[in-house]
Amino acid sequence: MIRVLLADDEGMIRSALAALLRLEEDIEVVAECADGAEAVAAAERLKPDVCLLDLEMPRLDGVQVTERLNRTVATRCVIVTRHARPGVLRRALASGAAGFLPKSRSADEVAAVIRRVAAGGRYVDPEVAADALSDERSPLTDRELDVLRAGRHGETTSQIARTLSLAPGTVRNHVSTVLGKLAVGTRQQAVLLAEERGWI
Amino acid sequence: MSSQAESAAAVSAAAEARSALRLTRSISATWWYVALAVVVFQFFVLTLLVSVLVEGSYGTATVVAVGVGGLLWWLVSLVPIFDYRHRAAEAPLLVWRRHLPSLVVGVAFGLGAGLVTGSWVVGTLPVVQVLMLLNWPPGLRLRTVLAVTVLLVALGIIDLRAIGDLAGTSWPQLIFMCATLPIITVSSLWWWDVLVALDQARISEARLAATQERLRLATDVHDLQGHHLQVVALQLELAERLMPRDAEAGMEQLRAARVSVDDARQGTRDLATRFRSVPLRDELANAVDLLRAAGTRVESVVDPDAAQAPASALGPVIRETTTNVLRHGGGRWARLSLARSDGVWRYEISNDVGATAHEAGGGAGLEGLARRAAEVEGVLHVRREGQTFTVVVTVPTEEVPVEGRVAG
Repeated sequence: MIRVLLADDEGMIRSALAALLRLEEDIEVVAECADGAEAVAAAERLKPDVCLLDLEMPRLDGVQVTERLNRTVATRCVIVTRHARPGVLRRALASGAAGFLPKSRSADEVAAVIRRVAAGGRYVDPEVAADALSDERSPLTDRELDVLRAGRHGETTSQIARTLSLAPGTVRNHVSTVLGKLAVGTRQQAVLLAEERGWI
Repeated sequence: MSSQAESAAAVSAAAEARSALRLTRSISATWWYVALAVVVFQFFVLTLLVSVLVEGSYGTATVVAVGVGGLLWWLVSLVPIFDYRHRAAEAPLLVWRRHLPSLVVGVAFGLGAGLVTGSWVVGTLPVVQVLMLLNWPPGLRLRTVLAVTVLLVALGIIDLRAIGDLAGTSWPQLIFMCATLPIITVSSLWWWDVLVALDQARISEARLAATQERLRLATDVHDLQGHHLQVVALQLELAERLMPRDAEAGMEQLRAARVSVDDARQGTRDLATRFRSVPLRDELANAVDLLRAAGTRVESVVDPDAAQAPASALGPVIRETTTNVLRHGGGRWARLSLARSDGVWRYEISNDVGATAHEAGGGAGLEGLARRAAEVEGVLHVRREGQTFTVVVTVPTEEVPVEGRVAG
């Protein structure tokens, strides 16, 4: 029996998928959670074999839940999403997710993925992978990304300069190049854009 | 479903914004060119005036006084010139705060220089020049500048008659320069106005094109969804009617409805991805990033001319093989290369063999790739040596034209 945890904030989809999975003879749905934090708590308590996590959830998203669970519980996480935004697959793989599939897959396909992942395999949906490969590349250099990363929580220029051991003037130059390349007005907007695209 | 289309639109909007920024920069460059032309010409007229005074029989104190006054006049007129860049068409003719200093200095300098030199042109020009920099409505400014040019020419003739042989030989040049300064200034500013109008037209045209594209996409999505929804509704209705009498036939319709839903989804996806294409280099770089994110050690060698490789043939190959490595590979290492040699592009990807490599799925995908490669006269080789799995695809450097193949 494969013990499965489902987490999805859309109740209809979650209960329909749970009902369909329960029809499979070798799968047992042990928990249904409506958000990421609830999923982490339930997974730590119940120790399921596989966690099927929606990517977009309140409080903690699927990737964050995967990161936490990988540190604490021996479980395999599969991330499900309606639409994979750029960089998400990379983030998911880096977080240690064992599978990634779009929500459009039918329940028997989901069940097949659960079996495969429970057996130690990895599953990346070809559609999601194709999307990830046709992502727009970041126009920023590694150094410019470092500057954005060091300043992502609103650090001042001199704090960024200290973190990266650069001169404040150099940091300012990098920032203005970044603003020019991304066509945004402030460093904050550049950080948001880069996070959204999965560049940092 | 629509979120994919939205994100495609967002990506193209971002690209649009970036190119718009480059163009904004290029009109900034033009602004500096225009402003510098006016400023330098005005300064040149000033230096000519001083040199004429030095040549003529004027005392050092007079020359210095005129020079300093002229410099001050030149400096304060920089304010309205540089204000002009961001002027609004509906702004009043005169903004006291911005124009008053230049007007006061212009009148004072004109009065002083006119009295000292005894020249009407030298006395009038500073005021006229400052007046030209006011916020004139376009038509009125043209008439004004023509009127003041006629006035300056007339005053110049009077000056030349009056001063005659008394002054140095540079007087005619000075008067000529003085008479042309206002018209040069106004035509430069007019050129800037034209450029701004063109730039705005370009921006609205680009916006219109983007809107039309979006509308077209929306119509396509609407047609596609409408069609499939109608089919699904019919299939469900049929299933509902059939169920009580013939359960198996009803089930058949339910399955058909599921297929229709899948078709609709695939169709929508195809619509959205129609707008997405990335260069081959980026696709390879994304592949390397993905594999690295999955914890695989990746080596990649990409030909610097990868942009010339046939992306339509190799793109799907890269996508499929990378997905295969992610799904079936051992996950320890992978090697990618794209190189050109002897008239062929050679893409090679090899990886360690994983526990699930023998499973079906990869095989069917590879057959599809072989077919695609054959369509562009390419060849696909798959080999497995011990723990190494390698896929090699070679395609001719020149894509064979479709017509040629059909004819041959």
